[in-house]
Amino acid sequence: MKLRSTFALFVTTGLLASCTKTESVPETPGNYILTVSPAASTGVADYLLTAQNLETGTISTAGNGVEQDGTYRYYVTHNGKFFSMLYGQGNPGAVTAYNIQDSKLTKLTNFQTETVQAFAPVNDDLLLFKISRSLTAPTSSWYKVNTNSLTITAEGTVNTLDLTQLGELAHFTWIKQVGTKVFAPYQTINDRSFNTAYPDQASIAIFNYADMKLEKVITDKRASFIGKYFQDGLSIQENGDIYGFSPAAATTAGKLSSTKPAAVLKIKSGTTEFDQSYFFDVEAASGGMSITSWIYIGNNTYIVNATAKAEKTSGFPAGKRVGIVNVVDKTYKAVTGMPDVASISNLTTNNYSPKDGKTGYIGVNLTDGTSYIYKIDASTQTATRGLKIEGGAVTAVQYLK
Amino acid sequence: MDIKKLLLAYLTAITFVSQAQRTGLIRGVIKDSGGSPIPSITIKLTGLAKVTTSNQRGEYLFSNVKSGNYTLIYSGVGFKTAEKKIEVKEGKESMLDVVLDDNTIELNTVTVVGRTEVQEVNRQSFNVTAVDAKQLYNSTLDLSSALDRVSGVRVRESGGVGSNFSLSLNGFSGNRIRYFIDGVPMDNFGSSFQINNIPINIAERLEVYKGVVPIWLGSDALGGAINIVTGNRFRNYVDASYSFGSFNTHRSVVNAAFTAKNGFTVRLNAFQNYSDNDYKVTVDAADIYTGAYKANAVVRRFHDNYHNETVIASVGVVGKKYADQLLLGLTLGKNYKELQTGARMVAVFGGWHRRGNIVMPTLKYRKTDLIKGLDVAINANYNLGKEQNIDTLSARFDWYGNSKPNPNGEGRGRSLSKYGNNNGLVSATVNYKISEHQAIALSNAFSTFYRKGTDAFNESFTQGQVRPRLNKNVLGVGYTYDVKDRWSASVFGKYLLQKTPGQATFNKLGYGLATSYFLTPKLQLKASYEQANRLPEANELFGDVELVQGNLSLKPEQSRNINVGFGYSFTAQEDHRFLVNANAIYRYSDNYIYSRFNQNQSALVLDNLEGVFTMGGEGELRYSYKKFLSAGATLTYQQLENRQQYVFDSNGNLIVSPVYKDQMPNIPYFFGNADASVTLRDIGQKGSVLNIGYNLLYVHAFWLYWPSRGGDKLSIPQQLSHDLNAVYSLKNGRYNIGVEVRNITDKRLYDNFSLQKPGRGFYMNLRYFFNSFKS
Repeated sequence: MKLRSTFALFVTTGLLASCTKTESVPETPGNYILTVSPAASTGVADYLLTAQNLETGTISTAGNGVEQDGTYRYYVTHNGKFFSMLYGQGNPGAVTAYNIQDSKLTKLTNFQTETVQAFAPVNDDLLLFKISRSLTAPTSSWYKVNTNSLTITAEGTVNTLDLTQLGELAHFTWIKQVGTKVFAPYQTINDRSFNTAYPDQASIAIFNYADMKLEKVITDKRASFIGKYFQDGLSIQENGDIYGFSPAAATTAGKLSSTKPAAVLKIKSGTTEFDQSYFFDVEAASGGMSITSWIYIGNNTYIVNATAKAEKTSGFPAGKRVGIVNVVDKTYKAVTGMPDVASISNLTTNNYSPKDGKTGYIGVNLTDGTSYIYKIDASTQTATRGLKIEGGAVTAVQYLK
Repeated sequence: MDIKKLLLAYLTAITFVSQAQRTGLIRGVIKDSGGSPIPSITIKLTGLAKVTTSNQRGEYLFSNVKSGNYTLIYSGVGFKTAEKKIEVKEGKESMLDVVLDDNTIELNTVTVVGRTEVQEVNRQSFNVTAVDAKQLYNSTLDLSSALDRVSGVRVRESGGVGSNFSLSLNGFSGNRIRYFIDGVPMDNFGSSFQINNIPINIAERLEVYKGVVPIWLGSDALGGAINIVTGNRFRNYVDASYSFGSFNTHRSVVNAAFTAKNGFTVRLNAFQNYSDNDYKVTVDAADIYTGAYKANAVVRRFHDNYHNETVIASVGVVGKKYADQLLLGLTLGKNYKELQTGARMVAVFGGWHRRGNIVMPTLKYRKTDLIKGLDVAINANYNLGKEQNIDTLSARFDWYGNSKPNPNGEGRGRSLSKYGNNNGLVSATVNYKISEHQAIALSNAFSTFYRKGTDAFNESFTQGQVRPRLNKNVLGVGYTYDVKDRWSASVFGKYLLQKTPGQATFNKLGYGLATSYFLTPKLQLKASYEQANRLPEANELFGDVELVQGNLSLKPEQSRNINVGFGYSFTAQEDHRFLVNANAIYRYSDNYIYSRFNQNQSALVLDNLEGVFTMGGEGELRYSYKKFLSAGATLTYQQLENRQQYVFDSNGNLIVSPVYKDQMPNIPYFFGNADASVTLRDIGQKGSVLNIGYNLLYVHAFWLYWPSRGGDKLSIPQQLSHDLNAVYSLKNGRYNIGVEVRNITDKRLYDNFSLQKPGRGFYMNLRYFFNSFKS
């Protein structure tokens, strides 16, 4: 008797405990992909959410979204696929490829590369660069990943110390396909804190993509380096002209040291030299703004994240202001309708535009922990609050057919 | 009831009163049937309500005994209770030496219940479980796997023999749990002497304190403690065993002691583990050239060799007037460990390895009744050992053993470090029995750490602004009131102090209360409360040079712990015996120290979480039938909840945490064990014993990350594994042969995300035991 009841108690306890919560999973199908991070201290990578539209409603990570392993993830869409790349120093970098089927993210495959600091679509490939920060081990590696077979098809190395001829390492801010070539704008660094003795020059290494042979290095001393760590600073127009922004963010001994203004430089279509007849002094045109990231929306027009001079204090400025830049007209117009700058924690830099010359979507994380997608209308220079994101900060806005 | 008896008692009492001034002595020595003295035997002098216990040499003494006739009752765990009559004459010494027989019936219950032998420990007011290690001597278990079978305990291993482990006790893990060997903190013994490489045969029993830890284990344990009692059951003996099995695993243990009549003693424990750990794993194996993963590839681990060799030798005296035990010892050991993977099985290594050694002189002093009622214990040790981290191969490996050049080593950048932590420890405990019911205890433990070393690839190694150096002192005071077998209560306080030059000093006060009450002799209720503290460890502040990156801003953790529980044993129809234990726990921790990945996911870093709340329960049921059958099960359920409401976002703004009140991720919360064994006697030969046992482990699946977030989630799957073993003993346990099959069903087992543990393994164990007095 006594035994039986004791045992029954045990079993009941066990059964009760083993019953796990079976929650219904709220799904939000759609072709927009939002990556959402539930606060840095939670130690988990972004959740991948899909959404039908970015202009209304609410979306949450609660019981929703694809969980990813790792802490830091970076994204690129190319060839109808969405790539999520793990950033983990020293460890091999796992890449997961997804497509969208029936408005839902579908995992295609994993493959292994290395942890890289720059990656960009080139033809049907992704070109990845693992860039050295050590003067004593100045070998940087590149990998070509075929996005159809999802395997590495070629790899090689570049000595990024020899490349600069300055005794400093070339650290590519990003890479860009230009025809059959790859342009890699770089900052020169002499330590792991990205300091340089050459803060007043912009340089681009030009590779022939087929064999990744370094063809030439071009330098322009009218501006500081182009782009920013992990930021695509080059853009190609419909007519083939290339523009590059410089946030004038070089540091020497930990302090901003460039004497040049934040600017935009140009390389004419078909050439491999800076166009000396073109110079857009962004600071002068905008009343002191520096572009810190941009997205081309067509028609010579960019939606830019920008920072005011007083806000720019480090070598890695992250603009909290939004402006519309026309590189041909050399104009900068501030966007209205954004939240007060003081209430913004950060803006996303990996954003989406349908390239209609008018529209772009940008993620806005506020200091009170709420997050929204804002729709930017370049024609009216206005921002409109759209989709609300709950349970984390938005880190990228992407779209996949 | 019985008038005659009452009257007699009355008369006797009068007689005693009238003889008040005339007293004598009773003294004697208690030995077992083999002639060895037996310590800790309780001797009751009936009629006078006097009680004493025998000392290390088996001696006991009653003084000031009024002359007359008395009955003495001798009782102790593992021995038959004996009654002896004696007459005491005025001014005379009455000698009464006693030989106690082994209590085979009791021992039978031992096998069954699994721990009657150590019941004394369990009857403390602390929430404590004692594991009788002797029953596992014929197995190939190390201490951590033996502990894994205790309710509330979960040991998580990252691989095979020698792999990293993490033990959790009622939801607390890591350095909240402290390890002791014979009451001496093991904190700083280095990699060569840890619970995952010490064989079970070293221990006599394992005491698992869940929650409140008695102050004589002087430390800043916050969530509990494990005390390994090596014991000294025999004065002269040899116990040697050797086992071998799957994955080229070899282990051997030799324990021996020699004690001369004059008390001079030499003791030796030596053990060795060796394993290639080349078990098969099922992984998504990447081709390092194309990056393509081959899903579910079955590959053998190829760089996971582990071996360690340790000798603990001591010389000294036992049973002297000035010391029950005074031993000078030296622990010498070394270990070698290859690293096969990183924190995920996708990171494969082929050259990275570690070495470590231990060179530790020790001093041990024990004396009970230094003056009457005063017990003293002093321990001191200093570890001169060195650790090495060797990652010099600049290559990237895949699971097929192929490699290609890759700059900067395999792990966190090239490393060739050699360093010593220079750990020293002095601890002293004083117990004073004020009266039969009251005792006070005072303990102090001082430890020191100063890491010095070099790394060929890192000039600033151990040369940072804050030098890796600290001193820690833990002072404890306790008071116990104990009415044997009725109730007892302890109150205690602890003062913790930790200093690192150039850093803020930590200063913490803790206190608590533990009490127990016997409702009936078989039903004990326990409750305890503690305001506990744990100070950040040296390895947490300065990093461990390997996997853990230092965090100098780490704060001490405080926790309020409440435990309530009961233990109940009963029999049905004489031969069916049962034991039930159940405990409920409540914890609330401030500045909860937890580990997370560093920014680049290349190492772990310890950090504080504002609050973590834990509620849980664990239970155990055991059953036995005669000497034949024994079975039992344990279950543990615990809910750990994040109570940090505000967190910093990536730009340092304080925001509401999306995982406030969510269950803590990556922690097993529901698990249990079951076991059964059958004992057959006199098979083939008289005096032989055949024991066949079965063990089951269950761990419920749990999430890798926060449960509330995401729909398509990563998890650590359910574990269900079965082990079988058989032991055949001959000549009353002198020769033993054991065979074991672990993970019979060859299930893929995971304690940690993606890190697969060994599959099915076969092991054989041979053991020889010889006790000169018993032969």
